[in-house]
Amino acid sequence: QSTIKWRMQTYAGPALAAHVIDPAIEMFNKIAGDRMQIELFYADQLVPTGELFRAMQQGTIDAVQSDDDSMASPTDVTVFGGYFPFASRYSLDVPVLFNQYGLNEIWDEQYSAVGVKHISAGSWDPCHFATKDPIRSLEDLKGKRVFTFPTAGRFLSQFGVVPVTLPWEDIEVAVQTGELDGIAWSGITEDYTVGWADVTNYFLTNNISGAWAGSFFANMDRWNELPEDLQTLFRVCCDQSHYYRQWWYWGGEANLRVNGTKMELTSIPDEEWAQVENAAVAFWDEIASEGEVQAKVVDIFRKYNADMQKAGRPYRYG
Amino acid sequence: MSQEHIALFMFGSMMLMLFTGQRVFGAIGAIAAIAALALYGTGGQDIPFSAAMKLMKWYPLLTLPMFIFMGYVLSESKLADDLYRMFHVWFGNVNGGLAMGTIGLMVLISAMNGLSVAGMAIGATIALPELLRRGYDKQMVTGVIQAGSSLGILVPPSVVLVLYAMIARQPVGQLWLAGIIPGLMMAAMFVIYIWIRCRLNPALGPVADDLDQVTPQEKRKLLWAGALPLIIFASMMVPFVNGWTSLVESSAIGALAALTASILKRRMTWAVFHTCTKQTLVISCMFMWIILAALGFGAIFDGLGAVNAIDNLFTEQLGLSPWVILILMQLSFIIMGTFLDDTAMLVIVAPLYVPLVGSLGFDLIWYGVLYTITTQIAYMTPPFGYNLFLMRAMAPPEITLRDIYRSIIPFVGVMVTALAIIMAFPEIALWLPGYVYGN
Amino acid sequence: MNALLGFSRAIDGMNRVIGLIVMYSVFVLMGILLWSSISKTFFLPSLWTLETAQFAMVAYYMLGGPYALLSGGHVRMDLFYGEWSLRRKATIDVITVLFLIFYLVVLLYGALGSTAYSLGYWGKAPLEFFAGLITGTEEVGRLERSSTAWRPYIWPIKATMIFGLFLMLLQALSELIKDVARATGRMEPEART
Ligand SMILES: NC(=[NH2+])NCCC[C@H](N)C(=O)O
Ligand code: NA
Ligand code: NA
Repeated sequence: QSTIKWRMQTYAGPALAAHVIDPAIEMFNKIAGDRMQIELFYADQLVPTGELFRAMQQGTIDAVQSDDDSMASPTDVTVFGGYFPFASRYSLDVPVLFNQYGLNEIWDEQYSAVGVKHISAGSWDPCHFATKDPIRSLEDLKGKRVFTFPTAGRFLSQFGVVPVTLPWEDIEVAVQTGELDGIAWSGITEDYTVGWADVTNYFLTNNISGAWAGSFFANMDRWNELPEDLQTLFRVCCDQSHYYRQWWYWGGEANLRVNGTKMELTSIPDEEWAQVENAAVAFWDEIASEGEVQAKVVDIFRKYNADMQKAGRPYRYG
Repeated sequence: MSQEHIALFMFGSMMLMLFTGQRVFGAIGAIAAIAALALYGTGGQDIPFSAAMKLMKWYPLLTLPMFIFMGYVLSESKLADDLYRMFHVWFGNVNGGLAMGTIGLMVLISAMNGLSVAGMAIGATIALPELLRRGYDKQMVTGVIQAGSSLGILVPPSVVLVLYAMIARQPVGQLWLAGIIPGLMMAAMFVIYIWIRCRLNPALGPVADDLDQVTPQEKRKLLWAGALPLIIFASMMVPFVNGWTSLVESSAIGALAALTASILKRRMTWAVFHTCTKQTLVISCMFMWIILAALGFGAIFDGLGAVNAIDNLFTEQLGLSPWVILILMQLSFIIMGTFLDDTAMLVIVAPLYVPLVGSLGFDLIWYGVLYTITTQIAYMTPPFGYNLFLMRAMAPPEITLRDIYRSIIPFVGVMVTALAIIMAFPEIALWLPGYVYGN
Repeated sequence: MNALLGFSRAIDGMNRVIGLIVMYSVFVLMGILLWSSISKTFFLPSLWTLETAQFAMVAYYMLGGPYALLSGGHVRMDLFYGEWSLRRKATIDVITVLFLIFYLVVLLYGALGSTAYSLGYWGKAPLEFFAGLITGTEEVGRLERSSTAWRPYIWPIKATMIFGLFLMLLQALSELIKDVARATGRMEPEART
């Protein structure tokens, strides 16, 4: 019996992957041993992120870690991956939405229809601005060229932000060469981990989403060929990766705000920031009107957030 | 096949294909496509094309046609004629002075374009016939022009440093600044070399005897010619270094500045314009197709795990010290550069080397300068070298192939010395970017 | 053979004309980049400049590639090649240009697949999909959009690439024909059509 070999590509570059995926894959390879080995490739390494989904569909790549938005998956749920504005406040919101509020079923149906297995969704960090110049009011957002997720960018452009999408690995240099004024792609943990804190000076404490949502996917045929125990092992390792991020980011965000020395914190006052939150309400409606599936997901978000609001502290404050 | 065998197979057959004289991009692309279909497994056939999508997203490549166009405007519109005359008049009255002035000319031309072709063309068509007519030693001056023009990629703007920046993920601005002092140092070393040789044997570079008629007024007026390259250089670099314009925007400004200058000086005829535009297309396409093929090659090489073989070789199997590894890498670049295209070499090999260099604790900006000098050497060393090709094509008939080959020997010696000095004293490269960007 | 040479001349003529037109798009590129710096300095930066510039660059080198091939712009390593007689060069090229053609076919096939995807086809037989589009048995599905905030449709640039690769393939065939003619003495070795 020969070793099953998978190629997997993540949308993260090596510095970030060292935390968010390397340990899980190493674990998988160690346990699966001669039965199966996964070789991991980083952002754009084998195929560019824009071609990632198709590459997985065709079997050029066997498995992928990404949010739906970055790889522009051809489904109705694409916009909800990455940072959907104000859909979640905490990183635990994401698994609850998927496991208890019915998103798993919707995702499964959507991806099965395009020949891809949706394995599980997990959550990452909140979405903050890291910029060269300080942001203290909405006015300061105007004209800023910022690397961000497509849907977040669409939302932010109404405030004069100019969203730019570049290969992940090029971001640090693009800030230095003047292609970008900043980044709205992560929380502060990532800013420090991947080197963005070295090229930007300010961190805005307001965020447009409390937690990123992204998933593990596999080519449907490759997935079905796996014996059940290896499927289970793969799921377990994905869960391990989700779990690692829960504490790594949660602890990291607080620690670096308090003890980090590379970025100065700024804030937009709550009353002013409320404009952004209100704009999100309109944005949700806009997306819901794009289709049935979108409407269903937005309804789930509404229901969930209403429940959290009613539950009160510590779920939601005010 | 083991990863070692795959690495060997892919590199070996690529070399073999190159030796047949097929177009470089075709040779590399064909091997990539064969390996993709034969070895990769499901979906391999899509990788060569997905490299095209990757290339599209490599935004710094947008600068390539701009810098190439700039170079052609410069050489085709004879914008540098006055510049040549300035150096001629100011330096002509010492032994070897015209040759030293030619190096100065090359430095200024380098500041106005991103490749070495422009310097080469100007050197071979304006300076070379003049120098020969005045009895300069033909081997020495052929070498002067080849060596001098190679400064084009070390002094900013530099296409090679942009390409390196993309692969190594390093800021172009810092790399460009890092190239300035080493470039000037190398120019100075060329000048010293010429001076010494002409001191020992004044017949190599006779004093120009027709400069008496030039009035001091005229002499001073000629100095203005030197302002042009500085203006073009500044129009591009000042907004860029200050962050007012981005890299790709600056490249367009540079191209526009060169075009405007040539129009203002009434040198831009329709014929010249047509030639510049056409040549820019041809040369840009040559670069782009090589990069396309090499990106595909690299992705398949990666996907087949052959990269691990190279890593193992350097770090585990040989068990060498960082400096020895670094020197071996430089040597392998120089050797590969004698028969492999520099762009292909960069796109294929640098992704394997650069992370290793970084993990050994070396500075990647500094390494970019080392890489660029190595490339310059590769341009000039037979059998395969672009500058050799160009020289062969452009030199006057009395210069034989033999002259060209022999002419470069001492200059390559100077360049290797410069390489060694910069290796020993990284500050030569790193001081300026550190000073300007303040870290 | 004469018919083939006629074909080759036609291809050369066509690609020459296309090249001489496409070469001016370098100024389109320059214009976009200049607009980008102007708009950024005086107004709000535009969403579309970077991606549009990238599309222009791709069109530039894909559609211009055949002209570069025709005019001998793609460098070769001439360690041995440079020494050979013109006839010998042509003979060797007859064989090795087949490798180039193979590469271009793989690229073209990849481009067809990727373009089919951009038109909403998820299957594994892009050629059948395109045939079906023409005969009406297949339909355009979900159109791929760029994963940027500007979200342009991707198929136009991919279709441009198909066209460029197709021209490139034709040009490589034309080179093959000329090489055969030169190698067999039907055409002067140095002659260009
Ligand atoms: N990879 C290449 N095709 N390089 C060509 C450029 C070489 C030439 N000597 C220059 O710098 O202008
Ligand atoms: Na230069
Ligand atoms: Na060489």
